[in-house]
Amino acid sequence: MASKRVGLFVLLQLVVLNVVSQTSAFPTPTASADDKTVYNRQLTEERPLQEQIAEADSVKAAVQSAESKQPATSKDAEPEQGDDFTMLKSLADGQKSKEAPEGPVKKGDHQYVPDESDSTKSRRLADDYDSTKHGMDYGKYQDDPESFRQVDGTPLTAEDIVQKIANKIYEEDDRGVFDRIVSKLLKLGLITENQADTLEYQVAEALQDLITKNAKNNEIEDMDQESRGEQDNLGSDKDAWETPRRRYDEEDDDEVANNDDEIADEVDRDAEEDVDNSWDKEKEEGNEVNPEDGLQDLQYFPNFYRLLKSLDSEQDAQERETLITIMKTLIDFVKMMVKYGTITPEEGVSYLENLDAMIAMQTKNKLGKSLVVPDISGLTGKNFDEDDNTKSETAKMQKEYENLKDSTKEEQPSTETNQPGKSETYLEAIRKNIEWLKKHNKEDGKNDYDLSKLKDFMDQQVDSYIEKGIIAKDEGDTIKRIYSSL
Amino acid sequence: MKPLFSSFLFAAAALALAAAASTGTDPGISFEYHRYDELRKALVSVWLQCPTITRIYTIGESFEGRELLVLEMSDNPGTHEPGEPEFKYIANMHGNEAVGRELVIYLAQYLCNQYQQGNDTIIELIHNTRIHLMPSMNPDGFEKAASQPGEIKDWFVGRSNAQGVDLNRNFPDLDHIIYINEREGGANNHLLQNMKKAVDENTKLAPETKAVIHWIMDIPFVLSANLHGGDVVANYPYDETRSESAHEYSASPDDVMFKSLARAYSMFNPVMSDPHRPPCRKNDDDSSFKDGITNGGAWYSVPGGMQDFNYLSSNCFEITLELSCDKFPNEEMLKNYWEQNRDSLVNYIEQTHRGVKGFVRDLQGSPISNATISVEGIDHDITTAKDGDYWRLLAPGNYKVAASAPGFLTVIKKVAVPYSPATRVDFELESLMERKEEEREELMDWWKMMSETLNF
Repeated sequence: MASKRVGLFVLLQLVVLNVVSQTSAFPTPTASADDKTVYNRQLTEERPLQEQIAEADSVKAAVQSAESKQPATSKDAEPEQGDDFTMLKSLADGQKSKEAPEGPVKKGDHQYVPDESDSTKSRRLADDYDSTKHGMDYGKYQDDPESFRQVDGTPLTAEDIVQKIANKIYEEDDRGVFDRIVSKLLKLGLITENQADTLEYQVAEALQDLITKNAKNNEIEDMDQESRGEQDNLGSDKDAWETPRRRYDEEDDDEVANNDDEIADEVDRDAEEDVDNSWDKEKEEGNEVNPEDGLQDLQYFPNFYRLLKSLDSEQDAQERETLITIMKTLIDFVKMMVKYGTITPEEGVSYLENLDAMIAMQTKNKLGKSLVVPDISGLTGKNFDEDDNTKSETAKMQKEYENLKDSTKEEQPSTETNQPGKSETYLEAIRKNIEWLKKHNKEDGKNDYDLSKLKDFMDQQVDSYIEKGIIAKDEGDTIKRIYSSL
Repeated sequence: MKPLFSSFLFAAAALALAAAASTGTDPGISFEYHRYDELRKALVSVWLQCPTITRIYTIGESFEGRELLVLEMSDNPGTHEPGEPEFKYIANMHGNEAVGRELVIYLAQYLCNQYQQGNDTIIELIHNTRIHLMPSMNPDGFEKAASQPGEIKDWFVGRSNAQGVDLNRNFPDLDHIIYINEREGGANNHLLQNMKKAVDENTKLAPETKAVIHWIMDIPFVLSANLHGGDVVANYPYDETRSESAHEYSASPDDVMFKSLARAYSMFNPVMSDPHRPPCRKNDDDSSFKDGITNGGAWYSVPGGMQDFNYLSSNCFEITLELSCDKFPNEEMLKNYWEQNRDSLVNYIEQTHRGVKGFVRDLQGSPISNATISVEGIDHDITTAKDGDYWRLLAPGNYKVAASAPGFLTVIKKVAVPYSPATRVDFELESLMERKEEEREELMDWWKMMSETLNF
């Protein structure tokens, strides 16, 4: 018996090694799509670990071995795959969890499938196995009750293998498992008939033991069953591995999404700030470019102007600037409100008038000075001035407009010799564009800053159009000249 | 304050008045014929007036070296914005059919004017569509036709290009192939194989035809119309009859949508949609015309036409618009033709925003270009453009839309499509490699564990 056992064991080792050598090259994903499907199905359905391993291994075996028995994809065919080499390999695997054969095995299923910690544990197992072979320290991991190893670290025995087969039969509740395994082994000539008989006998014994043991270990089983049941629910159509991974990913995504939202909010806020800043800057730049114009505006606020004048000293320079900025901002703001129709022009005007009056009052109260000339009574006087200024403003704008027209008129004679009428259309078009830009930019609060950019852009475009034959050279020159005269 | 205000207001008013003064019914449009140079200048003027929303480019040269000019209009001219559909009008492919040519020029001017005057519909349209306007595909033919002495222009002179090729019979005949595929199975779209052989090295193709084919292949056009003269009707695919008979209703898979598109044009044209309009010529057979539209094959069979070529080589839906009984009417009539067609021309561009549209991406969010979008029940698939974006024109109804790509798992979605606007449907496809990779990783993990266990 013993010798037979040993013989069987040796044979099994050979088998294992055989399988190892055959399957040393990792099967390519393209090999046997059916196997893949089956394999996936196995995992997705949360089959017991042994079966998973068995099936996966059968995939490899099927690929490598000449007799590619195409595993049927129907559920009925599943048990057929969990046999021969794979079975034995799983035996080797399951062997490690020897303490309570059923418990750790099921626990093994439980922890093998989803957890990263598994690989760590299995690595320790390997070391353990190695150490066993070399007769080294194997008690290292003895504390860990959940590993796959054998308690005493001894190598696989025939007994273990038998045990494994028995386990499998027990789980499958199908005696056919044994038949299949044995028939495979026989076919491959790895065992003789006699050995097969012995094996059968031993397996039967082991099975009996199993049944009695399981009756005792009901508690553990139940616990495991429950945990396995949970997992069955979790890993529905995808692999169970996937589920935790995916849930993890989803959580990640949520976090990321939240972060994105926060970032977006911040960006928006930043953008708003930037817009405000740039708007202010442009205002200031505008002020810098046309200081005289700005102060001219303020002339219409005589009280404010006087206040400014009264802040002539160097110390007050800062304050003066601030006041100017504030006032200009206010004026622009009111302008915009009128433009957008939030208030009527009359309201805007009266607001600004009141503002000026307020300044006078405040100055009087706070500074104790009274700004020259009777302020409040001078309102009527101001009106006169304002009317005059209105006229002068208008006249100014009209002059500017005419200047523009004049410049274009200057252009015409020079181009008239080339193509009469063409330059006029172009002039007309460009003028319309400028008008629209002015109107559009005023609405947006921008100023002529964009004009130079436009000029550059148009020059560039004109050149490229000339190159492509869309515009003639002289036409292009005309256009460029028109733009540079603006 | 007051002076400042009132002065500003005055100035603004002055400008407004100036603008208003130049506007009549349609300001800035001179209703006259444009020869090649005048056409070019007219487009340049539009560009100068609206440089931020227009761009002029050329798709090539005619046989005699005239540029095939296109004016594009969009809020970002020169670029395809992902998700923004592309539209084109092509006119005057028959050089003596002159009304379309002029209408396209007027349209360019009109859109620019309206945009600047704050017309919300036009502004919206230009911001959400990339509109390409080609006033003349056959400038050589036009010159020939226009150069004829006298008021009355010949029915034929100037129709074909300078080589004597009728451009609307010169396109590769894909109808022929689709009819075979219908019977025997095969692709239902994108039938132009081997650009190099079929187009570039094809000596039978006129330079104008080649240029347009390249244009169609380069830009992911969604909707298009091709403007003609000699009758008044909106004509839709297929143009070529299946049985090669002279007249036969030849429905395309998108017959329902095409009818809707054709009607969208005709209904705003009072002449086209007039049920009591007498035929252009006494003996004309307009029995196939209904509500101002007609199926091409039902009217008369046209092989090698540009309209069907668009539909069968690309994702673009094109119809043919016949806009005037006279091919080259008197110049005084042009204003009338503009009045008749202006609203139709604008409304037709808006049809681009119908059906379903969206993006096809992989699970990492990268766009999948050239993915197939198929609609259950319509045997005509379209593909996604470079940014993974697609636009599938559909009439109102419930549809199942599937996105598929080689190496990916197909996803099908149900959509309820209203008349307009387009319904957004995005797809995220899982690649087979990803699935295989997952499986492979699982297998690797298992293998590693096993090998460690068994120590090999």
